Formats: sequence, C-alpha cells, structure tokens
Amino acid sequence: MNNALEIDGLGWRAGRFFELRDLRLRVPRGSIYGFLGPNGSGKTTTIRMLMGMMKPDHGRIRVLDMDVPRDMPRILARVGYVPERPHVYPALTVGEQMRYHASFFGKWDAGWARETMRRLELEPDRRISRMSKGETGKLLILLALSQRPDLLVLDEPTDGLDPVVRRDVLTAVLDYVGETNATVFISSHLVHELERICDWVGVLDRGRLVVELPMTQFKNGIKRIKVSGAPETPVDPPFTILSRQQTNGAGTETWIVRGWQDSMKQYFDGVGLDLRDVVDLDLEEGFVELLRSSRPGTPGGS
Amino acid sequence: MYRSMLFLHWKQIRVVLIPLVIAAFGLPLLSVQGMGNLGGAITLEPVAVLHAAQGWLTLYPILAAAVGIILALSAWNWDHQLNHVYALSLPVSRSRYAMGKMGGGAVLALLPVGAFWVGALVASAAVHLPAGLHTYPNGLTLRFLLAVMVSYATVFALAAGTIRTTVIVLSAVFLYFVVGGAVESYLGVFFPFFQHTDVVGNTLTFLGSFGPFTVFAGSWMLIDV
Repeated sequence: MNNALEIDGLGWRAGRFFELRDLRLRVPRGSIYGFLGPNGSGKTTTIRMLMGMMKPDHGRIRVLDMDVPRDMPRILARVGYVPERPHVYPALTVGEQMRYHASFFGKWDAGWARETMRRLELEPDRRISRMSKGETGKLLILLALSQRPDLLVLDEPTDGLDPVVRRDVLTAVLDYVGETNATVFISSHLVHELERICDWVGVLDRGRLVVELPMTQFKNGIKRIKVSGAPETPVDPPFTILSRQQTNGAGTETWIVRGWQDSMKQYFDGVGLDLRDVVDLDLEEGFVELLRSSRPGTPGGS
Repeated sequence: MYRSMLFLHWKQIRVVLIPLVIAAFGLPLLSVQGMGNLGGAITLEPVAVLHAAQGWLTLYPILAAAVGIILALSAWNWDHQLNHVYALSLPVSRSRYAMGKMGGGAVLALLPVGAFWVGALVASAAVHLPAGLHTYPNGLTLRFLLAVMVSYATVFALAAGTIRTTVIVLSAVFLYFVVGGAVESYLGVFFPFFQHTDVVGNTLTFLGSFGPFTVFAGSWMLIDV
C-alpha cells in the first residue's frame, strides 16, 4: 500500500462541545504531511488515537499497513513519537533516558544517537528536570529519531521553542528523512513552519477535515482576486469562492478563491466580468481564509 | 527491557527504600533488646520474654505493609505524572509493561526482606533465651515476605488503574466498612433483626481468617515456645 497512514470514518465525541466527525486521512509513504489546525481543532486527539492511546467511537486506523489498536506494539516499534508536552521522566539524566528508551527499540542506533546528541549539544549527564524547554524538545526529537522509525508522528514539536532550537529540530528531522525516506506526520498551528518542509497538507477545524491536498496545490491554488462588476451570484465559477468583500462603491470586489489556475482567467471574459488583479496568498493567509470560509455563518462558509 | 524497568524503579524509590531496608534490619534487633547474654547474673522468665516480644507484634505487619504500599505506589508514580503518555508510546503490550513493572517492584522488595532476614538471624544469635523458648527467624522472614507481597500486589493493582478507578474502588471499600457499619448500627435501633447482624464485623473476621490477608493477622513472633 502506498499510504503510511490511513484513517477512515474516525469519530470521537467529548461531551457537547467537541466532536471528531468522520475523519478521513491519507498520508502517502515518504511524504512530509502537515496536519494543520487551530488550537482545539482535534489534532492531538487524532494523533493520540493513531498512537493507540485513545479509543475512537468509530472508524478505522491503519498505520504502516497494520491495524490500530490490534497491532499496536508492532506499530509502535516502527513509529517515532514526539508528543505535544514532554513525556520523558524528569528525574533521569539524558543518558539514562536514552538507555531506557533504547532498551525497548530493537532498531535503536546508538552511534547515530551519540553523534546527534553531540550535534544537538545535549549533555548525557544533565538531569532532564534541569533542562530548558528547548533542550527537552531536542531530546524528544533525538529519542524519536534514534529508534530509526519508518513513520515520525510529531505533535507540535516546536511549539514554544526559540527560532534557533526550532531550526535545529526541523533540520534533524529533515536530515533523517533525507537519509531514510521515512514518512513524517507533523501537526502544528505554526503555518509558516510547515510551509517550508511539507509536501502534503491536511487542515482540520472543529473536528472536521476541511481540506487535504499536496502543498504546492494548496499554496498555489489560493488567490486573492479583484473583480469589477461582480454579480450577486457568480455563474458556475470553476474555482471555489472562499470569501467576498466589497472593495469600493463601484462594484469592485475582492474574492478569496481556492482551486485557482491561470487558465481560469478566461472564465471572467465568458461571463462579462473584469478581472483586475490576481495576488498569491501565502500559506498563513490561505489557511486563515480557508478556516473562515469553512465555518458556518461566514461568507462562503458551509 | 526488564532491567531498564528495574533501574527506573530503583532510581525512583532508592531514597525511600534505603531507610526501609535499615528499618527492616533493625526491627528484629530492637525486638530482642535486653535479651542478650547477661552472663548468668540474671535469669529471664519465659513469660517476661514472651511478653516483651509481643510488644513488637504490631510493628512487623505494619512495616511489611508499608514496604509493599510504598513499592507499589512508586511503581506507577512517574507514569501517572506523565499521564502514561510515554509508557503508552513504548512498543510493548500493556499487560507486558504492567508485568515488567510488577516484577521490578517484587525484585526490589527482596532488599528489605533480605535485610529483615539478616536482622532476624543476628537477633536470634544474640539472644540468651530461657529453656523452652526458641527463635524463628526463617519463619518470621517468610511471613514478612508474604505480607510485603500481599500489600504490594493489592496496592499495585489499585494504583495501576486510572485515578478514577482507584477512587471508585477505595470509595466502595470505605462505604462498605465505615458507612455500612454506621447504617447497620442505625438500623439496629429501629429493627431488631439488625441488632443480631454484624455484616461488617463478620467481613473483617472473614478477611482475617481466610485468604491472603490472614498473613497480617497471624503470629509474628520471633521468639516463641
């Protein structure tokens, strides 16, 4: 199978206020998949389910062609996990934690671990409880990578880290992927960070997958366009209008559209509209517009 | 893997375990204080010796229970603090992980038990007993070991669950023994039938007479006839 991770019809409910609804995800093998979403959208819940830590109400999860939770120990032997909050024992030293971790993973690469520990400037005798947030973040990545996983599941791994540590962490991940062709599933609400490294993106909002597509398509497909003489209801546009806003009183509007291709300029001639401008949006703007449009009660929203 | 789990448990509990080992070694010695070789100047009366030994009776099971409880709670303490996220991300089944934890604690329990045995042997060798009395260091150590394991296993099982499960189980026990006893007494005022029942008392008698908890209620004498 070509997907490292497959989720179908995943559902989970927490009281009246949160629900994951029929989530369907496909993470291609060898890809770096950015799992985007605002805080509280369900990213961590989804990750905990695919790690077998929580039981979904319904749905099916397959990781590396194995079923969750049936094949959990075999899955976990091939998955490197960095959780949202540090999960290592604070009273251990770096070296002790590494030895403890290594004893569970048959593919642990001690030489690589030592080398990466040196590169990340971690001291083996340092107690974890006395380490800074950045050092702890580096240790978590070191542990996850040294077990030589086929799939890395990173839940906001750089959240709260300074730019230097963030770069160290992401560089370590990219070096590992370059070396092994492993799959990376990385969740974040830091859109710019994912823009640089991901080749696939899935956007989750309020427990619902809003979009899932290759990053290039996501980045290039969301545009801000200026249209003159816009009617109240445009006739069969070949793109999705995420939002519309009056620019001035002369009937000029700014549209945020998704699924844009240059050939679509012809559409405006065909329906007698005047296309004034097409502006690329960066990923963050596109992300914000996408979320805005997908929420009920917003212009263009569902 | 098991060695690592044992190391983790040791690292966590060593500060508490060392005083427990000292206490386990010292308790049998303390219990025979004043019964050493008196050079024949004073002859101890057997009844007085037994009476003195009985004074320490309650401390043995209390120490055994404390060792078991502390070992069991420490086995899960760090995992509880991390919401079990790390433990659940390790490639072992939950049952195997729990068995590893349990085994680690059981091995560590041998330290205070071993110290107790040595202390009991030294105490036995040091006493000068009147005729008709004997020391039982091996039997007492075996009882100590069983009591440690019973309390360890019980609390380990309780602590292994979620805090919610633990609270439910402890609440049920509390309700049964404390509230149940009070309700039974209260009902006895109005209904003669309840004046002749003693469900809570009978349960305690049952637990003290049958099953693993009897180990706490039996004879804890280092010196006996």
